[in-house]
Amino acid sequence: MPPAVKTQPAPGRETAFVGDNLRKIYVTGETEVQALRGVDLEIFAGEILVLLGPSGSGKSTLLNIVGGLDRPTSGRLWYRDTQLTSLDDADLTRFRRKNIGFIFQFYNLIPSLTAEENVRLVTDISEDPMSAEEALDLVGLAPRRHHFPAQLSGGEQQRVAVARAIAKRPGVLLCDEPTGALDSATGVRVLETLAEANRELGTTLILITHNAGIAAMADRVFNFLDGRIASIQTNDTRISAAEMVW
Amino acid sequence: MNALNTKLLRDLWRLRGQAFAIGLVIGAAMATFVMAMGVHHSLTQTRDAYYDRYQYGDVFVSMTRAPRSVAGRVEAIEGVAVAEGRIEQFATLELPGRIEPIRAIINSVASGGESRLNNLVILRGRGPVIDNEAEVVIDKAFADANDIELGARIDAVIYGSHSRLEVVGIGLAPDYIWSIAPGELVPDASRFGIFWMGEKALEAASGRTGAINALSLRLEHGAREPEVIRHVDSIVAQYGGTGAVGRQDHVSNAFLTSELDQLEAMTTIIPPIFLLVSTFLVYVVLGRTIRTEREEIGLMKAFGYGNGAIGWHYLKFAIAVALIGIAMGSAVGWWMGLSMTEQYAEYYRFPFLFYQVSTNVFATGAALALGSAAIGAIGGVRAAVSLTPAVAMSPPPPPIYRAGLIERLGSWAKLSSVGNMIVRHIARWPGRSAVTVFGVALSLGLLFATIQFIDSSRAMLDNYFFRAQRQDLSVTFIEPQNEKILTELASLPGVIRVEAARAVPVLLRNGARSERVAIESAGETDRLTARVDANGYEVPIPASGLMLSRSLAAKLDLSPGDRTQVELLGGRQTETTLTVASIIDELIGTRAYATPEALTHLTRDGTPVGSANLLIDPLYRDELIAELGDMPQVLGLTERDAAMNLFEEIIEENIMSMMGFYISFAAAIAVGVVYNSARILFSERAHELATMRVLGYHRSEVGLVLLGELALLVVVAVPVGCLTGYWLAQLMVTMFSSDLFRLPFAPDRSSYGFASLVILAAAGATALIVARRVARLDMVRVLKARD
Repeated sequence: MPPAVKTQPAPGRETAFVGDNLRKIYVTGETEVQALRGVDLEIFAGEILVLLGPSGSGKSTLLNIVGGLDRPTSGRLWYRDTQLTSLDDADLTRFRRKNIGFIFQFYNLIPSLTAEENVRLVTDISEDPMSAEEALDLVGLAPRRHHFPAQLSGGEQQRVAVARAIAKRPGVLLCDEPTGALDSATGVRVLETLAEANRELGTTLILITHNAGIAAMADRVFNFLDGRIASIQTNDTRISAAEMVW
Repeated sequence: MNALNTKLLRDLWRLRGQAFAIGLVIGAAMATFVMAMGVHHSLTQTRDAYYDRYQYGDVFVSMTRAPRSVAGRVEAIEGVAVAEGRIEQFATLELPGRIEPIRAIINSVASGGESRLNNLVILRGRGPVIDNEAEVVIDKAFADANDIELGARIDAVIYGSHSRLEVVGIGLAPDYIWSIAPGELVPDASRFGIFWMGEKALEAASGRTGAINALSLRLEHGAREPEVIRHVDSIVAQYGGTGAVGRQDHVSNAFLTSELDQLEAMTTIIPPIFLLVSTFLVYVVLGRTIRTEREEIGLMKAFGYGNGAIGWHYLKFAIAVALIGIAMGSAVGWWMGLSMTEQYAEYYRFPFLFYQVSTNVFATGAALALGSAAIGAIGGVRAAVSLTPAVAMSPPPPPIYRAGLIERLGSWAKLSSVGNMIVRHIARWPGRSAVTVFGVALSLGLLFATIQFIDSSRAMLDNYFFRAQRQDLSVTFIEPQNEKILTELASLPGVIRVEAARAVPVLLRNGARSERVAIESAGETDRLTARVDANGYEVPIPASGLMLSRSLAAKLDLSPGDRTQVELLGGRQTETTLTVASIIDELIGTRAYATPEALTHLTRDGTPVGSANLLIDPLYRDELIAELGDMPQVLGLTERDAAMNLFEEIIEENIMSMMGFYISFAAAIAVGVVYNSARILFSERAHELATMRVLGYHRSEVGLVLLGELALLVVVAVPVGCLTGYWLAQLMVTMFSSDLFRLPFAPDRSSYGFASLVILAAAGATALIVARRVARLDMVRVLKARD
């Protein structure tokens, strides 16, 4: 079993998340699966963080807990001044509504809504969103805003998902394999958009990927193994998505 | 058990809620079918056995007075096996503490109650001694209604003289399964009794020594009833015969038959509605199951399972669901049939009861249920069979939405994103949405049509008691009186107005068709009775010729302007021809009317007064009734208010039992339809709903997507259901009408509201049960799965 690595506080940097001994145990039938085995972490505001690791190593579990979709079995987690682990379901929903943008591997667009309406689904309930058109413009899809998901390519659908995620100007963008279903050119395009959101909006960007190449665009990389952060890699310089080796 | 059957059982368990909901609807079909057929069958069997064992007559005739020997002459007619004469004598009873008039019809019986026809069934006690004027057997319903025990004594006025009767037995007879006092609209066992007295005793009491006034006949097998009746009429005419009738026109049997016909009508209307809905539900649910299992189907085919095996696998699912419904419906239907048959046995007076639902009824019901489930399964099974393994194993293409009319309408109406999701999903699955709308609409329609029966009965009540009958009291005379009686009545305390009611029994003929009726009449200045049509309008009796009720005109195939032969019954056998001047659309009975002048012309002398209608001062009611009771000419009194209240009570009782059944059944459809729609909607949209939760929508907001779509469909279903109900109620009113009465189609507006509320409540509660799943939605798991 790899030794657990504790993320080191970096003086002078504003923290977005602080986690303390986060554990998650899934019980299915008679078997217990330890998805997280005591993770301590600190995630900085505005950084690009990549979570790398094999399947079942705990990265999706962590992403879900950080995004307020799931709760740890034990341990504590803060987002800025709020202790997420003490919030009830309604407060967690409010937390997601206000702060979190999600992007998934399979886009999760609503098939009965056009690109613009899918974005409006989020702007309708946000406090200070950009307009749906502006968000689609940022991902280069303004001309196709009246198209339904079935009329868009996979890359376009993922860019609508990105537009939907950034339209509320979220503090944090959580992406679970955002390029997993895309070819390399389209994947690069999507990553460029995400990086741009990070740069322009100061959004903290947390990405799960199996693609080690993507790690090069991150400020830091958490390497997961067996429910723990096995190592942390800090990149002195980030490369742009376009320069990435896919 | 092979793997496919194991899968079938697991599928059934997984979809148990939906399978049970469809089972409920199929069960409702099965239950109504088993109940109605079972009751029909049981009552028919009971009736036939009763008639057979206790020698119910085939032909009946009443006369004024005939020598006892006339029975022998009638028995000599070809085709007559037995003819038996008897005396039927009305009597007025005086029960302690009862001021209202109580009457009985006393029938003569041979010693000990032994008769050749219409045998008395002694339930308790014994039959009357042939020549003991004090001994009577009384009918069970009268005894129960008035708490009269064996050995009790009853004061009676028979043929003008007072006597004290002793109850020696309590019994029943097949010719009085249903009975009503003359002049009444509603049977009232507490005010009208059927009595039996020894033959010699009644002869003496009624002043008819050696005479009879009624005959019952048993025909030989293969005898031609109309010919026998013609013969009988020609023999008894000189004794004031009012025309012989066969069983179908004998009042007791006629009412029972009309009830049995209604039960039969019920089996042809209600179960098919449930079966239709269940067919749609199986279609929708199995279709959805097969869509979600397409990859498994592909896999099974890849492993080498043939189309037949796969088709049969899914068909078995439908069959299993139908079996659930058949089992539930059979048990519930059997039980409901038993309780309904017991109710009927109480209302119609049977000495015993065969409750038996034949295997055929269960088998037919089961076959219909299986058939409709199988029809519903065809679409899904065909889809499963036609999938090729390679196509099946790849995920289904996502639902395609394009900018169409609905989308344009949505943007024109500036719908929110959630609003658009709801409206577009409905438009994307029009067939399934239609099934939801139709299913809910049918349940509402069925409930409305049932409630309409109560409105309809009330309308009939209103039509008869408030518009047609305005008197407070009707006085029936022992035998027709001359005009003087009217003056006599007018002089009694509290009488405000007196009007004569005259009626002449006749046989109307048009070619081969003939009907026996009484031509009724009312003077031009009469105000206490009126001829009122189905719409509540008063129709005057034409100055000359006849006015026929629509049902009578239809039976005789007569229209205004046609001429009909009129043969006087009861005494003078004269025949004449009259013109049908008009037709009145009446609700009750088959009737004919003429002015008093026309009636006098017909009978060639003054028509005697058969009864009188009185308007009275309520302050003098008790005094007046006492005085009328002492008049020897008076046979009975009918109080309008009492009859009306009794009718109301019967309606209320029906409401309780009928509404319980139908509210449950209609709700079963609504629950079945809404539950399945909601579950399918939920499983289809789980992904979208989870996405919305991830995006920061609260549970209540997400629930709106699910409930909003259902609510919209149910709201659309309400007006459709009201229209369906309107149509269904008219159909049911037509099918339930008989010779005796016709129910008006007269829905109360609030019935639409009540039916809608019940269905909305059932739909709402069901939808909320499914909506609870939104609360348990596992966002993470749903999002991990590809849509």
